[in-house]
Amino acid sequence: MMAVNWAERISAFSRSPSRFLSGTTAEAFLAELLRELRDDRATYSVKVLLLSPLCEHPALLCPSDSVGEETALELMSVFAQCPPKSVQFRCHLLLALTSVLVCTSCVSGRSRASQDFLDLLLQIAEDTIDLHGDGAARSVRATACDCLRELEACSPGLLSQRLELLGGLRQREASRIHQAYAALHTLVLRNAVYQLTQQTGAGAEHLKALLGGNTSVAWEAEQDCSLMNDKDSAILSSLILGPMGTVPTLQTGPDCKELRSVLSSLLEDSYLLTPLCQAALLHRLTEVVSMVPGVPPAVFRAQLLRLLGTSEVCLLHTTLLMKCAFTDSLFSAEDEAFILKRLVVLSQHPLLSTPEKLFYMDCILHFPENRPISCGDGDETLPVLLTPRLASALVPTVFNDSATMLARFNLLSLVYLEEGVEGEGEGEGSRGLAYLYEHLTSLLDIVQSGGSREIIVTFFRAAFLFLFYFCQVERYSSGLTEKLCKLYLCHTYLAPHLINLADQTQDRLTESSWAVELLKALQVVITKAPLAQLTLQDLSQHLKMLTRVAEEGEIPQTNTLNFLSSIITPSSSSLSGDWRLGNSLLGVCRRLLVHPSLDSLLLPLADILQHLTCHYGNTDIQDHARLYYTLLTTLSREKLAGVLAQGLTEGGRQVKKRSLSSIMAEGEGLTSMLTIHRVEKAIFRLIEAGCEPRGEPQTEKGSDLTLNETESSPGEANVVLETYRAQFEDPNFASEVILDYQLTHMEAIDPHFSQLFSVRLHFNLTDNHYEELSDISVPCLFRERQPPKVRLRLKPRRPYPTTLHASAIFTTQDGLSWHTVLPDIHVAFQQAFMSPPAPPAWGRGGKQCLFEGLWDEISSEGGLNDPADCATSLFCCQLKEAALIALVEKHFLPYLISDLSDEEEFKVLFFLPPLSHILLKIRTEEDAVHFNIATDNWQLLPHISSYLLTITRYRKMLMANCDASLLVFKKRS
Amino acid sequence: MSVRALWIISHEKGENVSVRFSRRFATVEHRAKSLAGSSYVAVPEENTVLQLLLTELGLSDSEKSYVALRDDCLHRQRSPAMELRVDGPGKGILWPVLAISQGPLILACLPLVDAPVEPRPPLASLLSVSQGLTLLAGLQTFLLGPGGKPDSEGLASRLAMLPAILLQVCPLGSPLDVPILGAPATPTVPIPAGNQKQPVWKTGLHRGRAVVNVALIETVRSMQYGNRSRQDLWDVYGTVTCKVPVPPILGSYRLKEEENQLHVSVTLKLHESVKNSFEYCEAHLPFFNRDQMGVVDVKVSSGQLDVSKEKNLLIWAMGQKFPKSREVTMEGKISFSGPTPGPTDSLCTELTAYIKLYFKVPDMTLSGCSVDQHSVQVYSSAKPRIVTSRELLSKEYFIWNSTGTAPVSSGQMML
Repeated sequence: MMAVNWAERISAFSRSPSRFLSGTTAEAFLAELLRELRDDRATYSVKVLLLSPLCEHPALLCPSDSVGEETALELMSVFAQCPPKSVQFRCHLLLALTSVLVCTSCVSGRSRASQDFLDLLLQIAEDTIDLHGDGAARSVRATACDCLRELEACSPGLLSQRLELLGGLRQREASRIHQAYAALHTLVLRNAVYQLTQQTGAGAEHLKALLGGNTSVAWEAEQDCSLMNDKDSAILSSLILGPMGTVPTLQTGPDCKELRSVLSSLLEDSYLLTPLCQAALLHRLTEVVSMVPGVPPAVFRAQLLRLLGTSEVCLLHTTLLMKCAFTDSLFSAEDEAFILKRLVVLSQHPLLSTPEKLFYMDCILHFPENRPISCGDGDETLPVLLTPRLASALVPTVFNDSATMLARFNLLSLVYLEEGVEGEGEGEGSRGLAYLYEHLTSLLDIVQSGGSREIIVTFFRAAFLFLFYFCQVERYSSGLTEKLCKLYLCHTYLAPHLINLADQTQDRLTESSWAVELLKALQVVITKAPLAQLTLQDLSQHLKMLTRVAEEGEIPQTNTLNFLSSIITPSSSSLSGDWRLGNSLLGVCRRLLVHPSLDSLLLPLADILQHLTCHYGNTDIQDHARLYYTLLTTLSREKLAGVLAQGLTEGGRQVKKRSLSSIMAEGEGLTSMLTIHRVEKAIFRLIEAGCEPRGEPQTEKGSDLTLNETESSPGEANVVLETYRAQFEDPNFASEVILDYQLTHMEAIDPHFSQLFSVRLHFNLTDNHYEELSDISVPCLFRERQPPKVRLRLKPRRPYPTTLHASAIFTTQDGLSWHTVLPDIHVAFQQAFMSPPAPPAWGRGGKQCLFEGLWDEISSEGGLNDPADCATSLFCCQLKEAALIALVEKHFLPYLISDLSDEEEFKVLFFLPPLSHILLKIRTEEDAVHFNIATDNWQLLPHISSYLLTITRYRKMLMANCDASLLVFKKRS
Repeated sequence: MSVRALWIISHEKGENVSVRFSRRFATVEHRAKSLAGSSYVAVPEENTVLQLLLTELGLSDSEKSYVALRDDCLHRQRSPAMELRVDGPGKGILWPVLAISQGPLILACLPLVDAPVEPRPPLASLLSVSQGLTLLAGLQTFLLGPGGKPDSEGLASRLAMLPAILLQVCPLGSPLDVPILGAPATPTVPIPAGNQKQPVWKTGLHRGRAVVNVALIETVRSMQYGNRSRQDLWDVYGTVTCKVPVPPILGSYRLKEEENQLHVSVTLKLHESVKNSFEYCEAHLPFFNRDQMGVVDVKVSSGQLDVSKEKNLLIWAMGQKFPKSREVTMEGKISFSGPTPGPTDSLCTELTAYIKLYFKVPDMTLSGCSVDQHSVQVYSSAKPRIVTSRELLSKEYFIWNSTGTAPVSSGQMML
């Protein structure tokens, strides 16, 4: 049962840690995990599962370094007690430990646990005796090496002093795990050499000392240096970054015998490693050799034959990076030509997967040339050796998948562009371009005959690429326009794609007028097409298109107007009252109202608006048309432009009168009105209003006492308790904690936000200890006025401290809506304190009676309360009498049951909704002040004790009387 | 050279999508944070990643014909690495996300960028990218199992093995190896004596006669248009990439539309240099965007003709040999008067139609490439037997109807 339970819980955690932790706390979950890991009854397969949250989210479960440290110590003791045959579990434990220590910065801080763990790992790595001979120890050893390597990767320089030891271990290991030692050794070597390059005056001697393990000569500032590098991420970064990257160097002179021998030994064995490990090892060694000019790159020569012929993507990649680092000092011109040919072949090899082929094409466009012409700023450039003839292996075909086809289209476009495509000549460039155009046409034909969504999207992407490179070639770009128009007429649902293409080409190709030409042509085909077969669907797409066309000042709009009047004038029943369509019509009109050629459009446009006003079968549309008509006929040209243009400026906050003009039609004005904008910085926050006592106010002093103050007998106490408890039969009785806040502006905010309206506050819980809160509306928030009060009604399920996330939506003066996040609201434990909700008729006597009744019930076994939930406890601290009275007055007065003048014993009763009580009897004994605590909810004990600790510590600090306090608590089972 | 996270997603043609396995590598994430500094974007929770990934792969909102975020023509779909645009508090762009997809599985990972993040480094400068691709491909092969088509139980059982497998191949985010198919490595392989080290890629000990098998498989593709203005194309690839002077089978395909009937005329000619001994040889003639075939009145000069009316497909099996003349023909009429419409295709409309040839010729290559058994040298103390073989295989071998328009398709035209 446990196993199923844990499998589900762990998978729920990994699916969404935030949702999982909202039902518990990270602290509690961690404690549960650790307890279960120690439990002998749990199987090891379950325990492996339990480690996965620690491996995947260590920082979430161990929020501080000290928790990380404790967790690590705990895990190490689990490791120590784990039998050697549970190999999988031991390996996973090592991984979890690595994750916890690295992610809580215990490693970078060289904490005790991390030192112990390092020692443990080294001990495992060195212990090469396999007692059982079944290879079990070997697996753990390999994992230990992996962990050491990760520690070194995350905290570079950590193992620099162990270089010789690690080298020796690597050489002695003959079983297949020599790979793990080689990877570790290589990384430590790389980091150590890097650190030397950062040392002023470091040279051959230092390098020799480092490799020989001669720590006495090793550089002195080792510790400081490695610590420094933790902050400096440069050491984590790859050193092979193309022609612009600079590599730090170590001047050693030509004699680096020791380093050379280490390198050649690593390289000699490299072919024994898996391709992935080989690639990583070669990359690290490439970095080492680039840092030490004393070692010639020729040390890699012997490996090249194998690397150049490889079919493994990572090995070829590492070879390219090597070429990038060493250029012609390792690779001849023939090698370069060969590698490029190989990349071309691999880019289209039918046996490779699509992502691999795309990657190879990417490598061609970032080819590390021996003598690069450009500085290689990360842009795609063609290698000089890539001729059209060679590249022709990569021409796009209709049988390619979309990504491959687009990648090839892009590459070939670059190739032909390089060759020169102007003129009708027979040059390779123009022949290639002709092919690309023909290919684009084939794609268009497929779209024309009803291709899938994927092929449509692919076609438009290819069209964009084509225009991006060749829009200056008139014969093709105008041909494409013509074909697109035909295509649109057959498939009007392509309107959004065409608008997107027009938008993007206009945006990216600022010098080209292609987009305008396309829109112009589309206007012609839309307005000249026979109206007879026009469906409602087509019409709505046409109007979308014409709206976009009307955005272009250069395009005359007479055709559009003629089209509009021809579709509205006949007694076309399809138009009779569709609101959407009416809105689309108005959308075009609205654009026309701000068109630069409005003067010439005035009469026909007025006719159309008037017709809509009188005949359109939808009142809303009629009204809007009337407004436009009025604006058009009464306002001067400048005013009209002024009123409407404001609505068109994008996201302009200074616009005040947007609502008037933009609400009428679908346009970006309306969109920006309807969109909720986001404010990155907090604009306002909730601060706690003055601390007034919560719960029932203590005003009935001296009112009629139905119960005698002093003579409360057990019988009476029972009656009191019964009466008191009867009130709770109504589940809503005293179930809320009311917290008052003020909503105030943050300091230094944009003046734009100083007057806010319709603020709607929304609260999100971070745990499930409380019921969801409803939203709160605040009519307005002005900077210069009194801050409005906000009252939160929290309904606890369990009255624990909590944090609330708060956000708000509000409106600014210009009518825009905004969304903002407020700083979190922290609800402290004591904020849930209330006076007991006694019946109003009761006076102090009644409450005293209640106190005694509860106290006796909790302290004894009987009573109505579930005894398992009851607990008593004692909290002691050193306080002088005056300090104690001050403390009681400051913190407990609203909840005080006894008389303040009765200094012998203070009785305090906190009620915490929905049903919990905490009772305090405070009395000064000879050695200390004793806080006797009784509660009917033992889970509140940690919270009350930390609360008491806080207030007494503060008091003590005030009184400069700082003795240790003591907390004892006893839970009855 | 590490990956920050790994996801395995299953779906059925874009529906019923779920994350079947995910793994985050916390220490790599820790490094990513130090490397990226203020530009760091954390890996969001599983569901968010899933949604963003589907949008990026064009699989989201399949019922909508245009979604700006998914279908923008500026979108760089041609790169193997995707950008995930994370919204909300930890917003930013997650890059480079690699994904490979086959059948019901999508595998994705996020390699570590171990270079300054601004300006964005080229993909080719990050070794972690090829490492991530190799890891994904290895996991895919493992999960799909032999045949590349997993049953749901087989898939589930292999997914359950992943934690143990990742402990071997990628314990802390740095890929070390790809999963081994079949039996797991036996750790009890004896360790070679002396200084000789054991290769990591050799997982077991072979106890038979040592054999070296050198197989040469050539694959031939062709596009034949039967049109003077358009050059026919073919290429051959295999372990050795090379060019051939002629395609092995030259064909002509002519269709004529006559009142709801198609007049079909096909000639296939085997080149004299090709050995007339096939393991199999078949021609497939599909017909799209028409009603089902009614009367099929077609004669072939050799071989056997099968008619699949539901699929609107003629299958002409030539058998193991062409006749002495090395030429076969098909002639006849097909009426499309069936009760239901046949299959549709957006490429093959009207008279755009093709014949696709499937054949295999054992023991020959077009390039003439062969491996000489006696010239293979093996540097090993065990004297292995050397076996060599060769074969020719067709793939994408199309003959287009010369009376219709054919799509432009292949790349050797400028050679």
